[in-house]
Amino acid sequence: MNLFDPKSWYWLYDVPPFRLSLLFVTAFVGFYWVGSIVVRPILRQFVKYTPGSNDIVGYVLSCFCVFYGLLLGLIAVTAYQNVAEAGANVTREASALSALYEDVSRYPQPYSQNLRWLLRDYTRYVIKYAWPLQQQGIVPEEGTIRIHAFHDQLLDFQPKTPSQEIIHAEALRELNELLAARQMRLFSVKASLPGSMWFVMIVGAILNIAICWLFDMRFLTQLMLGGILAAYLGIMMHLIFDMNQPFRGDVSISAEPFEALYKRIEEQ
Amino acid sequence: MSGTPADRLSRREALRQGSAATLAAARALAPALFAGCSLGIPPRAKTVNVGLLHSQTGTMAMSATSLRDIELHAFEQINAAGGILGRQVVPRAPDPRSKVDLFPKRARQLIDDGSVAVFGCWTSAARKAVLPIFEEAKKLLLYSVQYEGNESSPYVVYGGMVPNQQILPALDWLASVAGGLRKKVFLVGSDFVFPRTANYIAKKYLATKEMRPVGEAYVPLGDRDFSGVVKEILASGADCVLSTVNGDSNIGLFAALAEAEVDPAKIPVMTTSIAEDELRFLMPEQVAGHYAAACYFQGVDTPANRMWVDGFRKEFGYDRVTGDPMEPDWCLVHLWKKAVEKAGSFETEAVRQAFRDGLEFAGPGGPVRLDPKTQHTSKFFRLGRIRTDQQFDIVHSSPEPIIADPYPALAFPGWSVDWTKNGITRGAEVDIDGDV
Repeated sequence: MNLFDPKSWYWLYDVPPFRLSLLFVTAFVGFYWVGSIVVRPILRQFVKYTPGSNDIVGYVLSCFCVFYGLLLGLIAVTAYQNVAEAGANVTREASALSALYEDVSRYPQPYSQNLRWLLRDYTRYVIKYAWPLQQQGIVPEEGTIRIHAFHDQLLDFQPKTPSQEIIHAEALRELNELLAARQMRLFSVKASLPGSMWFVMIVGAILNIAICWLFDMRFLTQLMLGGILAAYLGIMMHLIFDMNQPFRGDVSISAEPFEALYKRIEEQ
Repeated sequence: MSGTPADRLSRREALRQGSAATLAAARALAPALFAGCSLGIPPRAKTVNVGLLHSQTGTMAMSATSLRDIELHAFEQINAAGGILGRQVVPRAPDPRSKVDLFPKRARQLIDDGSVAVFGCWTSAARKAVLPIFEEAKKLLLYSVQYEGNESSPYVVYGGMVPNQQILPALDWLASVAGGLRKKVFLVGSDFVFPRTANYIAKKYLATKEMRPVGEAYVPLGDRDFSGVVKEILASGADCVLSTVNGDSNIGLFAALAEAEVDPAKIPVMTTSIAEDELRFLMPEQVAGHYAAACYFQGVDTPANRMWVDGFRKEFGYDRVTGDPMEPDWCLVHLWKKAVEKAGSFETEAVRQAFRDGLEFAGPGGPVRLDPKTQHTSKFFRLGRIRTDQQFDIVHSSPEPIIADPYPALAFPGWSVDWTKNGITRGAEVDIDGDV
C-alpha cells in the first residue's frame, strides 16, 4: 500500500459517514495529543528562554492560519464545485434522455416502440448497474453498448415526411447532448483532487499542530485547546475528503434524476 | 505558566490520568463505533462472474438482446434470493456486434476475466467459432437457441430445440389436414451453417413423406433483398415455405412476400427463427397469418407462465414480450444453478458431473429435463399462427416434451452421443454442402 497515493485511502469511503467523521477527528486529536507528550518537550527547547514566546508563537500561528485557512477554504470550494458540476451533468444527461424519449415516441411504429425500449433499457442499466459501480470508483462500460444499440436503431429510421425530418433532426441533437453529458459523467467517476493538493493540506495541518506545541501553558489546557483546533481540522479534512470523488462518500451524487425518469416512463 | 506548583497537576500525574481516561473511553466506545476491525464497513458480498455473450448491436441484436435481458432478470432474482452457493452473480455482457470473428475474442475476454460459465451465442456460426475456446479452457457454454444438431461438445449445454423437436414436427403439421395437406415445400434460409444443415435434414425427412422440396435459396445474413427469392418461390409452384432466415433479414423476406401479394392462406411461411420479440420489428400486416415453430409462446395459458411474463414485464417494461428462446434461456440459467448447487462448486467438471443425474426444472412453458447423454433438453413442440397484434395463436402443441436427438438417423446414420459413457460415436461422414 502506497500511503502517498490518494487511491490507497479510498477504502475510507466505505466507512459509514458518522464513523468516518469520528475517525478523522480521532486521528487528528490523537496525533496532537501524542505529539504533545512526545514532540512538545523537544520543540519547546527552541523557545524556552525567549521572552514573550507565547506572543511570538501566537502571531506566527495567526499568520499561518490565515494562509492555511484560505487554502482549505479554496480547496473545499473547488471540491464542492466538482461535485456540483458532476451533479449538473447527471441532471443534464437525464433531461436529454427524457427529451429524447419524448422525441422518439413520435416516430412511426415499430421504430417508436423499439427506440423507447432501448432508452428504457439504458436508463435501467444506469440505475441498476452503472451507479453501484460508480460508487466503487469504477467506470461502467456496458452503457456504451446500449447507447450504440440505440444510435444504430435511430439511424436506421428514414424520415418520409417533413415533420418526421424535424423530429428526427431534433432526436439526433438530443442524442448528441446525451452523449456529451454521459461522457462528462464517466470522466467525473475518477475525478478527484490531485495528490499534490492533499500533500500541501496534510503538511499544512501538521505544521499548524506543530506550532501549537510551541505554546507555553498548562499541560491540560494545551491538550484541550490544541485538541479543539485539531478536531476542527479533522472535520474540515473529512469534508474535503467526502467531496473529493463526486460519486463516493456521504456528499455524493445520487441516481435520483434517472430514477425519477424511469418511474415516469414506466408509468406511461 | 500560571499557578503555583502546589495547585498545579504534575505533568506525570496529568499523563497518567489522561492516558487512563483516554484508554477507558476508547475501550467503552470502540465496540459501538468501530465494530470489530471493520470500522463499520459493510462486508462485501462474495461474487462470481458469469459471461453473457450476446450481440447487442448489428443484425442479430433484434433477437439476441432479449436473451441478455432474461438472463439479467434471472440473475437479479437469484441474487435477491441470496445468490448461488452464497455468492452474488456478477453478469458481464460484452458486445460481439453480430460479427462472427468478434465472438472468440469476447469469449476469451470473459474467460480471462474469470467467468465460470458463459451463456451466449445465437447463430451456429458464432457458436462454432467459440467452441474451441471453451473446450481449451474447459469452461461451459450454455446455448439456448434452436440449432441444426449434428454437434456435441462436453463443454456445451444445448437448451434450444434441434430439428427433431422443431422442423420435423412442423413439416408433419404442414402435411396434415390441419396444416392444409401441403406437398411442395420451398426452403429459404440465411446463408450459414444452421439453415443449410437444417434444410439438409428437412430434405432427408421430406423424402420419407408425401412431400418434396421444390426449391432452395440462401441469402447472406443481414441482407434484406428478397425480391429474387420471392420470384423463385412463386415460379416453383410451392404451396408452403420453410424459412430458416435469421435476424433482421426477416424484415426483407416478409416485405418482399407482401409486395408480391403472397397470401398466407395459400403459401404459408413456416418460420423457425421468429418469436414475439422479432415481431416487434416486422410490419404486422406483412406477417399476420404466417406460422412459427417454437417450444414456447407468450400465450401459453398456464399460471406459471402468466406469473413469469408479468415478472419480466414489471422489471423491463409492459411493452416487452417473452418468447422462444427466452424461455429456454431462463430454464438453462436455472438448470445451471441447480447443477452448481448440487456440485457445491462452480468448477466445470463438478458441474458436468452434476448434469449426469438428469436435472429437471419446471419452466414457464412446462417441465424441462436435461438429458445427461446428449446435454440437450427435452421440449414441447408448439406451432403458432402470427396475429396482427404481434402475438401468436397456438394452433398445435405436442402432447408431451420431445427428447432431443442431435443426430437424427435419417440424416446422420451411425452417429450418436452419450456423454455418460464414451462420448460421440461416429458414423459415415456426411457432406451437407455437397448435398445442396
